[in-house]
Amino acid sequence: MSHRDALMLAVRSLLRRPLRTALTVVAVTLGSGLLVALTAIAGTADSRIINELGRGGPASAIKVVAAEPDRSAPDSDVLRTGRPRDLDEAAVRAIRRAPDVTSVEGVLQTPVEVIPLPPIRGMRADAKGSDRPTPFEDNLVGADLSRPRDLPVTILAGRLPATHSLTEVAVTTGYLDRLTIDIDHPQAALGTEIEFGAPQIESGSVVHMRGRWFRARVVGVVAQQVGDGDFLVPLDQTRQARSWEIAGGADPDGGRLPTSPYSGLIVVASNLDQVHTVRASITVLGYATSAPEHLVASVLKYLHVVDIVLGGIGTIALVIAVLGIANALLAAVRERHREIGVLKAIGARDRDVLRWFELEAVLVGAAGGVLGAALGLAVTAIVGAVVDGYLVAEGLDGIDLGTIPWGLALLGVLGSVALSVLAGTLPALRAARLPARDAVGSL
Amino acid sequence: MERRALPPCPPAPSPGGASVRIRGLEHEYGSGARRVHVLRGVDLDVEGGGHLALTGRSGAGKSTLLALVGGLERPQQGELRVDGEDLSLLRGDALSGYRRRTVGFVFQHFGLVQVLTARENLELALSLAGVPRAARAARADALLAEVGLEGRAGHRPGELSGGEQQRVAIARALAHRPRLLLADEPTGNLDEEASAMVLELLERLRAESGCTLVVVTHNPAVAARAPRRARLDDGMVRIA
Repeated sequence: MSHRDALMLAVRSLLRRPLRTALTVVAVTLGSGLLVALTAIAGTADSRIINELGRGGPASAIKVVAAEPDRSAPDSDVLRTGRPRDLDEAAVRAIRRAPDVTSVEGVLQTPVEVIPLPPIRGMRADAKGSDRPTPFEDNLVGADLSRPRDLPVTILAGRLPATHSLTEVAVTTGYLDRLTIDIDHPQAALGTEIEFGAPQIESGSVVHMRGRWFRARVVGVVAQQVGDGDFLVPLDQTRQARSWEIAGGADPDGGRLPTSPYSGLIVVASNLDQVHTVRASITVLGYATSAPEHLVASVLKYLHVVDIVLGGIGTIALVIAVLGIANALLAAVRERHREIGVLKAIGARDRDVLRWFELEAVLVGAAGGVLGAALGLAVTAIVGAVVDGYLVAEGLDGIDLGTIPWGLALLGVLGSVALSVLAGTLPALRAARLPARDAVGSL
Repeated sequence: MERRALPPCPPAPSPGGASVRIRGLEHEYGSGARRVHVLRGVDLDVEGGGHLALTGRSGAGKSTLLALVGGLERPQQGELRVDGEDLSLLRGDALSGYRRRTVGFVFQHFGLVQVLTARENLELALSLAGVPRAARAARADALLAEVGLEGRAGHRPGELSGGEQQRVAIARALAHRPRLLLADEPTGNLDEEASAMVLELLERLRAESGCTLVVVTHNPAVAARAPRRARLDDGMVRIA
């Protein structure tokens, strides 16, 4: 019997019992749909959690500082440094050439005097009844803001400063805390102005202290620090402040004038699994690093367990569904035993009958798998939209629904077909082994 | 009914009918207290191209003998040869091949595949016989015309009368030009008129193709049409 004949027999036989076939397909659809939906939702949740661990930027980001590593604890998540060591362009190039490094962004921080300029909406009066912020000392953190995705920051409100702007700044929640602004309403800080003063000490018999004062408007609020400071500005800004500081010839804090072109780097590994390797490469180059790799690894293990549990639930549902195929086919074998005998009487071989019933199983599995994949993707989209709406309403980042997991859908279809073939094997074997004698009457 | 010559059907069949030689054939079913000894040393010869009617009461073993000769079961004891080929030596695909090449079956229950049309039933048999796809439709239509059902090719068995279904079954049995045609109560489910038509058709086609015809029947009138008759009694054959 040709494949075409077997296919025709299978299709026609399925259509002979339309209700039974429809119910079996629906069962496989629900099982397959549940598997695809649970796996897709688990995958999206994993991405979301890892994204949170990466604090909005790449979770595989590594912070490098201009210092030698503390050899006693090279793998610690917390930064442990040895003696200062300049981070120059040669070091940047060497790190960039290291295996599994995706990007390297330079960070330069400089000390400044900070004077927040009133009025500032949302600021509460202090104990003395004053609503005028007190000036304080902090650091400007300069970074290349043209590729914000390579920076481990989450924008809570507004945006990052323009790439070469000298009049814009983004502040962290630490600044909002200092000004007693509710961090749940970071928009209040947008549009306010801050006066910065970069210090310069002129060396000589008489010490002269001068400031390079400039005013910047707050255009964004971010959740984390790129460096050790609450003010994120373009690299050009801190380079000018650094030049001004060095031009005086003496360090404002009485120490050695900084010589490193960068105070730190943000290095992004190609994926989470490579963070440890990249850190090791940087350590060999002689620089201290920090990354939440142990935290991320632990969380990933727990997420993997959750994935297994959710995938297992979906798989069990699918297995139960395909057992329905076996049941329906066994009933069909009972109904058609004489027809099978007749086919054998006119020359069909055991494998012809086997192929006929296996094809019925494949057709039901494929139909259920395709419908289930579509159902699973639809459920994923609906659940994703609901969760996204909730997150946005709560003031959090939404989840990305832009990518349809076609690979997962394809796996769902293939899995349904494979399980259906397995489920159909017993009935098909039983049918194939029916004696041709069943074609004629008894005795 | 218009008579037409059957078109050629590759592979070309061997000319004439198959001879059947049976000696001391025994067969039983079940075991222990449930053992039923159906055939107890059957001896029978059917010459090639002959027409034999096999009668006997219910449970006498007629259908079992037919199944053994048709290769639906393997002989347990005794000698059974068709055209000199020892059927006890065949198994699996070899037995399927024997049925496909040599034997045509006509059943009391017609045995048509209910989900296929009359033409598709014939095409399936032709496919199993190895006839190329391109030749199947024409050959099926010619066979249906031969049994007077050219206008019913697209009908499924459930849309045909009993007599029409049996004519389709006869056409299917002859599709691969068998040398041995076995009919198990071919008129058992038909009225008198349809029975007469089916028997005439079987006899005519046997005469045209030269195949050997063995008909199992309860009906004395059906048996009387055969030039040779045998009766199964108590598991043994008595020649009438």
